[in-house]
Amino acid sequence: MDSLFGDWPSFDPHNFSHFRPSDPSNPSVSAICPVSLPPYRVKNSTFHCQKMTPTTYCPTHSRTLPPSDQIITTEAKNILIRNFYGRGEEKLRPKRAAAQLLDADHGSKQPRPCDPVIELID
Amino acid sequence: MSRSSNVAARIFNREIRTPPPGTSVHSAREFYENIVPGHTIYDIECPDHLFRKFTDDGQFLVSFSRNHQELIVYRPRWLSFSCTGDDCSHDLPPKAKRFESFFTQLYCVTLASSNELICKDFFLYMENNRFAIFATSTTPPIHDAPELEGAIPGVPLVEKITFHLLRLEDGDILDKKVFHNDFVNLTHNMGVFLYDDLLAIVSLRFQTIHILQIRESGNLVDVRAIGLFCREDDELFLNSNAQYMAVSDKTPVLQWTGVSIDPDLHRRPTSRDSTFLTGLKQRLLSFVFRGIWNEESDDSLRIQSLKKKFYFHFQDYVDLIIWKVQFLDRHHLLIKFGSVDGGVSRNADHHPAFFAVYNMETTEIVAFYQNSSEELYNFFEQFCDHFHVASGHPLYMRFISSHSNNIHALEQLKSIKCKADSSTQMLQFVKKMLGSVAYSCQSQSPSPYFDQSLFRFDEKLISANDRHRQSTDHPIKFITRRRPYTLKFKIKPGPEAGNADNRARKISFLFHPSLPLALSIQLTPYLQPSVNIHFRR
Repeated sequence: MDSLFGDWPSFDPHNFSHFRPSDPSNPSVSAICPVSLPPYRVKNSTFHCQKMTPTTYCPTHSRTLPPSDQIITTEAKNILIRNFYGRGEEKLRPKRAAAQLLDADHGSKQPRPCDPVIELID
Repeated sequence: MSRSSNVAARIFNREIRTPPPGTSVHSAREFYENIVPGHTIYDIECPDHLFRKFTDDGQFLVSFSRNHQELIVYRPRWLSFSCTGDDCSHDLPPKAKRFESFFTQLYCVTLASSNELICKDFFLYMENNRFAIFATSTTPPIHDAPELEGAIPGVPLVEKITFHLLRLEDGDILDKKVFHNDFVNLTHNMGVFLYDDLLAIVSLRFQTIHILQIRESGNLVDVRAIGLFCREDDELFLNSNAQYMAVSDKTPVLQWTGVSIDPDLHRRPTSRDSTFLTGLKQRLLSFVFRGIWNEESDDSLRIQSLKKKFYFHFQDYVDLIIWKVQFLDRHHLLIKFGSVDGGVSRNADHHPAFFAVYNMETTEIVAFYQNSSEELYNFFEQFCDHFHVASGHPLYMRFISSHSNNIHALEQLKSIKCKADSSTQMLQFVKKMLGSVAYSCQSQSPSPYFDQSLFRFDEKLISANDRHRQSTDHPIKFITRRRPYTLKFKIKPGPEAGNADNRARKISFLFHPSLPLALSIQLTPYLQPSVNIHFRR
């Protein structure tokens, strides 16, 4: 049986029939398409003799694409320590713009990073 | 799809179904509802040792000799026996009902010399290298010790405390760290915290946190000592600038370094004693000061606020001592401060306490709270697992039930919280809960039988904490949390028929982390303890 999984045992050998070429001599025969829901359109996959690709789905809009300059990093501090730092910074930040600050470094808010950095929470 | 509690059905489901992502430990643990230590061998004949603990990977059982000088390590194994005849459902043959059927002695090592004793409450284990840390000390601790430079009065003194690093597989002593004329609180691992390969030892007497690293080769390496100095080169810096310091005879800095500085050259005439506060204390005081300063923008209000909140309590802040330390991650320490009286006593609940988060790399105090702080309590309620830091290996160490990872534990906590109606009761509640912050390392058993989502049991009688409990004649029941809420097994400590007299007895439970095997040890004063083995037959 010329299936994707060779001669492996299975409950029903016809389960993966849509991964097999229905006609090996005709490379552009399309497979049985599963039900497609908007907003996706289904790209018909073409089957060649030895290549079997399952059907793929491509998005029809770009609303959910990440920004092109996104950098994903792992935050070194865990959430508890981040909370401690957050509260500590609030305490050390002066309530109003004071004329005299004890320590200029801690006086201003932390500068926001320029590029959209998304941090993975460990 | 109904979830069957039948073990064969569960095994079949496991073959064909993928569990939800990230739930490998939970899926494996479900089987512990079916495999329970329901059978008990009462009062088994065993060597007269003090059984301390199963290691967290389940490979060893650690025990000490009765004279507290030797370490004996056993390998847990399962009993095996054969019986002739067709009917093998009878009771175990007497040959199987022995301690040696379950445990094989690996070796016996002498740790303590003649005038020292092993601290039986202290034991730390590193899974990845299978290293263990034990402590021996000369006894008894001397109270009312003579005052030494740098030592705070009121803390007892032990002549020699030695920490031994051993490889548990063969009992080789790899390294030692000795503290002379010092005091480290060793009961239930309180004064020491192990995080991955970093060890923090709190010297109560000299108010120093010693950070050591355990290398793969088995060496204990000093990393830093926080207390008097914060950075490694503070001492050098201060000594090289000694001529600008107002020194007096009692300055601890000069005497500790042993550097001979001509006192006449560097002493300025002062009208009063001027000793430096320790580096850590200075960081703490400046953090408190800056916080109060930044609360107001008007200078006169600031000064009022500082007078009331800072200077009025200045001496109290200065008198605070380090009680306990834990790691929050590799760079941050959570330090518990309190008064001298509470540092040594076992029960310090009624003493005021403070918590500080300290960054070892930047040497900054990040946060400072009193033990009545609701903000800190909220962090504790939401992020309890980040307070109970555990190494990631083995994986089930991160799944010990707490109110942050278990709905039943959280409900229990909230029901106690709801009972606090008034603000005073709420304050008492917060103080009680925060009493357990600054967690003692490796004090909870990772056994799945203590998983609150699998079993319900009476927490006053038994729990994952390895503290001794009061004895009870009634068996302790473990009931499933899920339908059909049945009693799965009972643990009955003490002799089968119960105790003849009503003497107060203590019980300790040792649960194996992965096998359905547990020991319950009933301690009676002046008698040999009675040991029961609970296992799945």
